[in-house]
Amino acid sequence: MASTAENGPGGGGAGGRSEADRLKHGGWFSRLVHRPEIGAFSGMIVLLVFLALAAGDVVYNPLGIKNNLAIIAQLGIIATGACMLMIAGEFDLSIGSMIGFAGMSMAIMLKWGLPFGLGPASPLAAFLITLCITLAIGWVIGTIVVRTRLSSFIVTLSFLFILRGATEVCFRTFNGSTQVSGLPDFKQTDFFAALFGGETFQWFYDLLFWLGVNYNRAGEQWVTGFDAKVAWWLVIAGAAWFVLSRTELGNWIYATGGNEEAARANGVPTDKVKVSLFMFTAFCATIFAATQVFDTNTADAAKGNLKELEAIAASVVGGVILSGGFGSILGVVFGAVIFGLVQNSVFYISWIDGSYYRTFLGTVLLVAALSNETIRKRITGGI
Amino acid sequence: MAEPLIRLEDIVKRFGNFTALDGVSMEVHPGEVHALLGDNGAGKSTLIKVLAGVHQPTSGTIHVDGQPVVFRNPLAASDAGIGTVYQDLALNALTSVTRNFFMGREITRGARPFGVMQTAEMNRITREEMAKIGINIADPEQAVGTMSGGQKQTLAIARAIFFGARVLILDEPTSALGQRQQLEVLKTIKRVRSRGDIAIILITHNEIHAQLVADRYTFLSLGRVIGSGVAEDLGGEDIRRLMAGGAEMADLEEELATIH
Repeated sequence: MASTAENGPGGGGAGGRSEADRLKHGGWFSRLVHRPEIGAFSGMIVLLVFLALAAGDVVYNPLGIKNNLAIIAQLGIIATGACMLMIAGEFDLSIGSMIGFAGMSMAIMLKWGLPFGLGPASPLAAFLITLCITLAIGWVIGTIVVRTRLSSFIVTLSFLFILRGATEVCFRTFNGSTQVSGLPDFKQTDFFAALFGGETFQWFYDLLFWLGVNYNRAGEQWVTGFDAKVAWWLVIAGAAWFVLSRTELGNWIYATGGNEEAARANGVPTDKVKVSLFMFTAFCATIFAATQVFDTNTADAAKGNLKELEAIAASVVGGVILSGGFGSILGVVFGAVIFGLVQNSVFYISWIDGSYYRTFLGTVLLVAALSNETIRKRITGGI
Repeated sequence: MAEPLIRLEDIVKRFGNFTALDGVSMEVHPGEVHALLGDNGAGKSTLIKVLAGVHQPTSGTIHVDGQPVVFRNPLAASDAGIGTVYQDLALNALTSVTRNFFMGREITRGARPFGVMQTAEMNRITREEMAKIGINIADPEQAVGTMSGGQKQTLAIARAIFFGARVLILDEPTSALGQRQQLEVLKTIKRVRSRGDIAIILITHNEIHAQLVADRYTFLSLGRVIGSGVAEDLGGEDIRRLMAGGAEMADLEEELATIH
């Protein structure tokens, strides 16, 4: 067969040229700007520089870093779950209520003992039983979504109300009020509680102290370590990154969100993928709640309120698109940093009314959604 | 002639009162392109869905390699070597060529579902299999969305062959494509045909495309076979007449002429 430019097959034989080739630009720079996380990364850098100039030391001193990372990590944990589910093409609006529910479940058990009068609950037992319950609820939500083909928006919105109501009722029934406070400080005595409520990466602050930048007025070490939730965030995000980018399950998740019919036709167990991801968001919400309960030794029926929307917003800022099939964990890590920083640091800028932070977040979200759409079009060739 | 790869015998498919297929028989041979032609509603889609295991025939038998078989579901059909490339191609435009090629059948190391994809090997196979039927992709990690329609079609065909299809059912592969893309797809079809071991069932509306590649024809109209034969025996006039459901073109022209 002749191999002229006219009929060079597809990708082009010797010197062949075709429609598709016109889209390719090649080179590392083009690869970089095609990455789904590029927008979030740029945004994060701009924000970090801006905060350094506008707020300065308060954000970047040892305590500022600790506090910021605590907020970022909390958001990052649930954003990881939300992002995986969104890539598979579904939403979970029940994350916030699930946080409240899980916190209630753990706190009630820690205060009033195990169910059925089985005696006092250890932090480990309270956590594991709670996790079983929340995973079961996640399974129920996922199963309803895949069986009925109802929109996950509606199903999880229902569970947003159902779980919040159940949380409040349980608090009142068992504890007579809508909160539990004054639990023993388990993290001092219990290894498992310290895993959630204690500190981590102390070596970082030891190092800072040794370098002479981490001491209080008395000349002693000031900050001793990051909150444990930072380690949880890194572990969960790391595992999610690995699954999504390296494993077959990752490919199934992208395929399920990108073209569900196609995925099913090629033998991808799309329903199982979705149900397990609803369980994963429930898992993330439970970890979130555990880090709160074992850190503060309190629980409250209002905990986790609106967190589901923050998790979705952080995912969008991180480059995940709402219709599914596209996004990356690395992007969502940047998204969580942006969202957490804005939430926490705008208050330190003296010349901005701190209450503007929500306005600012909304703007960031809108800009992110617009740029995601542009990036998606660039990648898909405009479909 | 050798034993056909697939022989359909008197396939009847009813949906309630509606008879979609009314005693359809046809033979499909390896190394041949079998054009399945007919107007809208002739039963082409139902026939390929019966072959693909989506529908079960009300009566009649499907023989594969001379043995009668029953496909209870699409998986059974694909296990028997029947690969269907539907119009939407079952691709995920947002991910890479390789990820699409191996969608649901990744090469992995480790326990399911957390098996680690062997990306380098998967990329190599994707590039090789695509090249075999004539598309050289520079970067198997490029998003499918950046490929042309013809390249996507080729990807879907290469995938079906690699995963064991001996019969390829191509559902309107040239519709919704530009002229040059259509030619690309026809070339791909000829390359697959020249392997000699794969049978191709080509469903199309376009008689010109059929004439360019088909070895054998079956014409359907209102659920029945109204004509069949090998390419040498059929003239262009016959093909046009049979495609229009058996009506003489002259009749149609006359009818058209009466409308002012």
